[in-house]
Amino acid sequence: MDMRTPKTVIQLRHVTKRFGHQAALDNVSFRIHAGEIVGFVGANGAGKTTTISTIMGFIRPTIGTVELFGVTVEPQSAHQLHERIGYAAGDMELPARLTAHQYFSFLLHQSDGDHAELYKDLCRRFKPELHKKIGALSRGNKQKIALIAAFVTDPEVIILDEPTSGLDPMMQEAFLDLVRESKKKGKTIFMSSHYLTEVADVCSRVILMRSGAIIEDVQALKLLEKSGKSVTITTGYKATRPPKDAIDVETVAHKTNVTMTFVFKGSAEELQRWVSSVKQLQDIEISEYNLEGAFKSLYETEDKPS
Amino acid sequence: MMRSVFLKTLYDKRWFIFGWTLGFVALSVLMTSFFPAMRQTGALDSLLANMPAALQGLIGNLADLRTFPTYIASQLFDIRIPLIAGVMAIILGLGLSTAEEERGELRTLLSLPISRTRLLVEKWLALCLIMAIGTGGIVLGILGSAPFIDGASIELDTLLPLVAMTWLVMVAYGTVTFAAGFASGSRAVANTLGMLIIIGSFILSTFGKAVDWLADFEKFSLLHYFPAVDIAKGTIDYNNVVVLGTVSLVSLIIAIILFRRRDVA
Repeated sequence: MDMRTPKTVIQLRHVTKRFGHQAALDNVSFRIHAGEIVGFVGANGAGKTTTISTIMGFIRPTIGTVELFGVTVEPQSAHQLHERIGYAAGDMELPARLTAHQYFSFLLHQSDGDHAELYKDLCRRFKPELHKKIGALSRGNKQKIALIAAFVTDPEVIILDEPTSGLDPMMQEAFLDLVRESKKKGKTIFMSSHYLTEVADVCSRVILMRSGAIIEDVQALKLLEKSGKSVTITTGYKATRPPKDAIDVETVAHKTNVTMTFVFKGSAEELQRWVSSVKQLQDIEISEYNLEGAFKSLYETEDKPS
Repeated sequence: MMRSVFLKTLYDKRWFIFGWTLGFVALSVLMTSFFPAMRQTGALDSLLANMPAALQGLIGNLADLRTFPTYIASQLFDIRIPLIAGVMAIILGLGLSTAEEERGELRTLLSLPISRTRLLVEKWLALCLIMAIGTGGIVLGILGSAPFIDGASIELDTLLPLVAMTWLVMVAYGTVTFAAGFASGSRAVANTLGMLIIIGSFILSTFGKAVDWLADFEKFSLLHYFPAVDIAKGTIDYNNVVVLGTVSLVSLIIAIILFRRRDVA
């Protein structure tokens, strides 16, 4: 065996999940290696939560297999793998009648090892309300508890389903810091998110899902490259036409000039040639097209009839 | 404190336990306090004689009202407790199974290193203990109030088998609902099955003695295996213990087999 080959920790092989006649997942396959931080992106109903549910062993695939650490996940034996996994979901229902302190006490009793220091560190970062009943807490405060619970046993793999929903910006940043530190420690994180900027921020790889199928599985940087450049020009020549590869063109006419914004997916040389041909150029701004845009354009591409 | 699913369940249900135990204490005190009035029932004799046979089943045999052990067996253990315990069993069985799944808390528990079998068995043990605490309330109510009521005396040797069999019936009721909830994940299925068995048992046992066409089905009632008055008279049929215990264990095993493999919402 090649020692440089990273260990596969999560592997889905041709996973299909049907609920009645409805296919929630359709032939989904991917693998995640140890130490990777993978973002899992898709619109509502794309199948992200169903995928995570099969990985956690909450539900069984109709066809195909899910493996964790090389072991096939089955609902009846998934608990043996959960010792090595941390899990949190944005819509996670924590035991409402317990205080957070009681819940952590219960949770830590289910795990081997002494995690007191890590628990203190996580409480220092997220500042949860430990002595109120969880049921009486706000959405954001409950989410802090769910996140602490996912990390507190120092698991090898952390699976997060919309982890920052309900968190305020400061806590979102605290969470992203924690993910970055976990990455340095070699942890594997698989997180679904609607906040594509946070995915771009911390993830090395992005898997995009649509209608139960994977439509893209790329390095985050490649996705940004593929998504092109966002270009805004201001010119005094009102009849300026955008380059032929431009998409999402918006033109705003002012009294003496026009501002044109578009996404350009062609090469840098083509863009340079076009810019040099623009008459009465007054201003130009070229930036990376953000992941939100990339996501949107990928979805739109898929939506177009072939 | 919160070391296991068993302890967590007891903690979650502490107010339920307190409320129902208090209810059983109150009911037992009430029924004990009625004894002096019920044993002097000359007027009831003629009233009962004129009632249709089916309705007589709801009141019981008047001869059983003459002594406290048979009175408490026929009026409390034979008629009222099975109905009330049935309601308790459905609420508890649903609360420990489908209610947690509907709220989404079951997934949270299953995301931890807790096996489905362990989760189910620990919750079932908590159900058994909660039922035991409830029946403890009956003992407390009777023994606490009997010394103050004229003629109300009962030996522990008589009371404890009655309470133990009550507990077995309650556990069987609760386990059927609980098991249906875990096996199916559906509140409707668990509720329907629980109601069917509890109300069906009550109807078959109450009216089966007097309505000919029901008599053949009476043995399908769980209460058939809890002849409270016979127990109060000192007759204990251990086959009844086996039947009630088997109903609970078979329900539990079916639930484990199905719950281990099914999807959790």
